[in-house]
Amino acid sequence: MSTNPPPDDTDGRTSRREFILRAGATGALLAGAAVAGRALWQPEHFVPGFQPEKGLQLPSYALALNKTLPSLAIAHGKEHDATVRAAIGALGGMSRFVQKGDIVMIKPNVAFDRPPALAATTHPEALRAVAKLVMEAGAAKVFIADNPINSPAGCFLKSGLRQVASDLNLELLYPETNSFSPLQLEGEVLKHWTFFHEPFKKATKVIGVAPCKDHNLCHASMTMKNWYGLLGGRRNQFHQHIHSIVSDFALMMKPTLVVLDGMNVLMKNGPTGGRLSDVKQMGTVVAGTDMVAVDSYGYTHLLERDLAELTYIHKAHDRGLGNKNWQDTFHKEVQA
Amino acid sequence: MAGSDLPKPAASPKRNRNEFVRENIPASERVASAVLLCLILGIGVGLWIKGKHFDPNRYALRTDALKSTAGAVEGKAGTLRSAGETQPGEEGASAAPRPKAEAATAEAEPAEGAAAAPKPAIKGEPLEIALPGLKPMGATEFYSSDNLFEKIDGRAPAYQGFNVQQLRSRSFSVNALSGSFVDVYEFRFDSPVNAFGMFALERDPKGKPLDFAPDGYAGEMGWFFRQGAVYVQVIASDQKPETLALAVAIAQNRAKQLPADDAGLAGRRKLPAEGLIADSIAFVPDNAQGQAFLKNVYQANYNFAGGKLSFFVMVTGPGEAAAAWKSYLDFSGQFGGKATVLPDASGAKLFAAENFGTAKVIYQREGEIGGVVDVPNGELARQFVEKYLAGQIK
Repeated sequence: MSTNPPPDDTDGRTSRREFILRAGATGALLAGAAVAGRALWQPEHFVPGFQPEKGLQLPSYALALNKTLPSLAIAHGKEHDATVRAAIGALGGMSRFVQKGDIVMIKPNVAFDRPPALAATTHPEALRAVAKLVMEAGAAKVFIADNPINSPAGCFLKSGLRQVASDLNLELLYPETNSFSPLQLEGEVLKHWTFFHEPFKKATKVIGVAPCKDHNLCHASMTMKNWYGLLGGRRNQFHQHIHSIVSDFALMMKPTLVVLDGMNVLMKNGPTGGRLSDVKQMGTVVAGTDMVAVDSYGYTHLLERDLAELTYIHKAHDRGLGNKNWQDTFHKEVQA
Repeated sequence: MAGSDLPKPAASPKRNRNEFVRENIPASERVASAVLLCLILGIGVGLWIKGKHFDPNRYALRTDALKSTAGAVEGKAGTLRSAGETQPGEEGASAAPRPKAEAATAEAEPAEGAAAAPKPAIKGEPLEIALPGLKPMGATEFYSSDNLFEKIDGRAPAYQGFNVQQLRSRSFSVNALSGSFVDVYEFRFDSPVNAFGMFALERDPKGKPLDFAPDGYAGEMGWFFRQGAVYVQVIASDQKPETLALAVAIAQNRAKQLPADDAGLAGRRKLPAEGLIADSIAFVPDNAQGQAFLKNVYQANYNFAGGKLSFFVMVTGPGEAAAAWKSYLDFSGQFGGKATVLPDASGAKLFAAENFGTAKVIYQREGEIGGVVDVPNGELARQFVEKYLAGQIK
């Protein structure tokens, strides 16, 4: 009987089985590394000056033009719910804008951690009225979101909007690092900027609900300026070109509907206010599909100022982004 | 027999390699391996998340990184700019501080050239207010002049115009009322004069004077006053009695805690309260009424004898006041104007003048110069000035 050991790799050669196993393992590692690298690679990342800039472009949420219904409605009343309902009713009702199953993003102005009485933020009752109408129209889901200047949690709490979200079971989206994406626009000053995209990813309709208030840099903050709250990064640098960027917002965002809350108007010391004596009760809500027309009415009739001063309105009008001559639009004025 | 006698074959080196294949691996080594693999996986996930979104700030210019090159180099011409020298586009954030107090009714100018990276917020003492019924809603917030916009946005340029140094703010919830709170803002300026200037700019004409702060007023749900170089705003969230009671208690607390300092405000104290139109008080640091000799002037409008008039006062040394009065007299007689020296009144020298259809009466008494300007009725101006000098208008 032979006592030689059975032939194996001890003779200096690798067995076929072992080779296959090791080659397989190496190949699997290489393939895994390749897959991981591909997954981690961010095709949208760019280094300024070295690559062409790319970013998302928002779709239009606007409805097709309807010549049989007004595009602007002005309602006068004593309390928010009735006046908002009257304004939207004059446009044909919320069912004109929101259908069953829609996912609606409502953008209020919650820039500051101010109480509602100071009229520096969207009034909770205005948001409540709009949100209720949206839900009555059959929306499947309603988001509210903003990227405030002050702490988001504090702003939504102190403005009273968090309570509204809780009462009506609205989904409140706070801005987080992952919520932003680069936006691309052929604006006058807004070309490529970080944008609060998360609330819009699933939205099928967008409604802006803005207070009507003084702003010491651009004279007024209304429905067009409301979209400033969607920008991220060091957006304050746009203050140097405030009128250009506000007119750019009319290019950036084509909402389904905007609502300008003029029940209580911050007449001076805006945008933050701070004195009840700066707030004037105007008892008016303006709703419409043309932000330029809505803001034009707000500036002249609610802030009671000369439209010639409001540079961004004229810029937006001249760029074809809306009609500053609101009285030439198909409009309706009602009493709640 | 043959097998036991045969020499054993030499062990192949390959056999040693096979002996390194371990089948019994200790638990600690398995755990360590798992931890390392999880760490690598976590790093990969983190990279994916972080890299998913573009951050424009990544490539923003950090001018604070340039500070190391701003210092003068020994043996060479200094590279530091002297204070007060500004470059185009640097007005506001990086310019040397300059008192800039416009008339109270003037609009704030928009910010320009705010391209420099903001300095880090100045930290300081937390705003602690020990009053029953209050509870802090969060930590004290601090903002410097550069990042003040993060709190008050478009209002920041107005404050920067008066050389604001810091904002310290904190909110306090009202224990007895759910949802009620009081916000406290303390804007610290570089001087009491500038604090006053900003306070005057935002003054509410309908505000009611405060008994605990000479420069202060109460609104319907807010208390606003200047204490030293600090402009304090205490704002209630609503008008419920408990909230308002706590808000006024906070305001009184701050008035006691903050140091009093009226440096540069002697002229302000001279403005009489009787007939004063509150929101018209203004401070003009230089070239008041277009006159180089009128500096640090306080002026206000008054209701007097059925009419309105504008009164100003400047407090300085007696010699300077006398020189200013003489210069004003000489100027008023030029360009077709008519200036007349009036009899002294209550220890003061006076002159009356008419220029371009309006009248003025100017006085000088020791280190004080002032008067009524730009009125259609010279007699009204003289009456006001003489009554003021006699202490009949306080």
